[in-house]
Amino acid sequence: MESVFGLVGKDFAIVVADSSAVHSILVHKTNEDKIMLLDSHKLMGASGETGDRAQFTEYIQKNVALYQFRNGIPLTTAAAANFTRGELATALRKNPYMVNIILAGYDKDIGPSVYFIDYIASLHKVDKAAFGYGSYFALSMMDRHYRKDMTVEEAVDLVDKIIMEIRSRLVVAPPNFVIKIVDKDGAREYGLA
Amino acid sequence: MSIFEYNGSALVAMVGKNCFAIASDRRLGVQLQTIATDFQKIYKIHHKLFIGLSGLATDAQTLYQRLVFRHKLYELREERDMKPETFASLVSALLYEKRFGPYFCQPVIAGLGDEDKPFICTMDSIGAKELAKDFVVAGTASESLYGACEAMFKPDMESEELFETISQALLSSVDRDCLSGWGGHVYVVTPTEVTERILKGRMD
Amino acid sequence: MMKIDFSGLDASVPLCGNTDELCNEISTEQKFELPTAADFDGFQREAVQMVKPAKGTTTLAFIFKEGVMVAADSRASMGGYISSQTVKKIIEINPYMLGTMAGGAADCQFWHRNLGVKCRLHELANKRRISVTGASKLLANILYSYRGMGLSVGTMIAGWDETGPGLYYVDSEGGRLKGTRFSVGSGSPYAYGILDSGYRFDMSVEEGAELARRAIYHATFRDGASGGVATVYHVGPNGWKKLSGDDVGELHYLYYPVEPASVEQEMTEVSGL
Repeated sequence: MESVFGLVGKDFAIVVADSSAVHSILVHKTNEDKIMLLDSHKLMGASGETGDRAQFTEYIQKNVALYQFRNGIPLTTAAAANFTRGELATALRKNPYMVNIILAGYDKDIGPSVYFIDYIASLHKVDKAAFGYGSYFALSMMDRHYRKDMTVEEAVDLVDKIIMEIRSRLVVAPPNFVIKIVDKDGAREYGLA
Repeated sequence: MSIFEYNGSALVAMVGKNCFAIASDRRLGVQLQTIATDFQKIYKIHHKLFIGLSGLATDAQTLYQRLVFRHKLYELREERDMKPETFASLVSALLYEKRFGPYFCQPVIAGLGDEDKPFICTMDSIGAKELAKDFVVAGTASESLYGACEAMFKPDMESEELFETISQALLSSVDRDCLSGWGGHVYVVTPTEVTERILKGRMD
Repeated sequence: MMKIDFSGLDASVPLCGNTDELCNEISTEQKFELPTAADFDGFQREAVQMVKPAKGTTTLAFIFKEGVMVAADSRASMGGYISSQTVKKIIEINPYMLGTMAGGAADCQFWHRNLGVKCRLHELANKRRISVTGASKLLANILYSYRGMGLSVGTMIAGWDETGPGLYYVDSEGGRLKGTRFSVGSGSPYAYGILDSGYRFDMSVEEGAELARRAIYHATFRDGASGGVATVYHVGPNGWKKLSGDDVGELHYLYYPVEPASVEQEMTEVSGL
């Protein structure tokens, strides 16, 4: 079942999401990427209804790009988070998007950050965040093993532990996960150069 | 479960001698799951005016942003800060604007008015003002807070005693509430200074 | 008044005939009057709402090299209100066996006490202690006989018998599972996260107790309905022993001491404005 989580490390942020596209009792595919690259230094991990997720994250991505084209400077992670919250909040009382978002980014003078935005548009800056059924395991394990000065290797070790736990404890465990990292060199899938 | 109890919150404001205090808990939760323990619920409007927003976190954030916007416009046009009474009317008006699809928030407003007279008030989610001379409470721990404040409040306390009283009232109340707590946040405002303090509390 | 007689389902052998009044008093199967309502299910639903079970708990137990470790929080809540922070959720059935409490407090307390009586009678009749397997089966059979009538029990029976350490999960739906690691209650997913990643079979008693305490603490931190005191029991060859009872309010600052520089500092002025 859907699980998205993320955390801030020493000089990077990491976002993890399962990659299963599920419809009632069927698993349609197991390599669906639920973490969108908003721009060169931002990641948006999203869970929720498939259609809403695809539509909304792409809408945000294009608008963040539009801002950069018009003004010549990219949005900061905080600005992108607040923009995302604003759009979700406006939609909330019209036709709500059922998407929960973990927004991670790296800004030159601020460093890495992670924002928690749920489908009713509560926004909060956090060190560690999780959504979905995997959130219970992810949150307690991150509470237990997290440190503010974690290296990428340590964080990935922790992420692996959490993935193993989700796979062994959830009824319908997703087989595959995507791990993405953002640091001063930009946002990318972990393991890929 | 009520939508007002979705995120969990505890808010209280008290009047002292030429001063006031406003305090909140620090939890952001989604039902029973704690998301963060450093969530802001009290916002500064200007040096002598604060608003606490309990209830649904998303509406609190939206409402706060709209209030700051309106207050900034007022400042630009009038070249002065808003009086607490005026601000309360503004909050009330913004809330009633959404009479048939309300913001699920219960605000607590506290400020120093003309001649530094303390002003506290609360409202329901559609803007019915409720003024008080002693204390006001809001949030999921409001029932416990009523009890604690009723027992602990004394009129005309000095700022230090007021801080102690409001802190004890807050901490003991949230210890009887599943959905609020995880630390406290207190502002004590006198005509000359504002003190902000973070309270250690039970983290369960 | 209708009465349902469940004595036929009783697994324990009657001690003696019904000539002795005292003995008769003890061995007679408990009977519960059923309401003479036309709509039994509807009545039952309403009644269950009225005695709404105190939900929200974290309990856990695991078998390791040195025996069984059992731990629980101590909060009782009704909706958002915390009705008690000092509930005893680990019930001492006899010196060798413990039960944990999740779900309805009254249901758990009553049926564990009832199980204690049955275990003692078994001991007197057979001149040997009942096995954990037997005791848990006894409880499961009783709960199964009341299935669908609104009982709310989620318990673990942990103990030491002739075969060594034993651990069973029993619930009011009639389920009974043998295992080496369980957690029950609203905080259980959080506890499992800590438990699964920290568990080793060859732990010492100290390590086991610390793991159990940690798991309870982390569950109380994230779960609003769990809290109070983290109690840890250990069951070894010589019976159970209470190892610790730590207030998680203090445990948090023990695990995560407040750094002087951070804003979490006690009663410090953050800014003068």
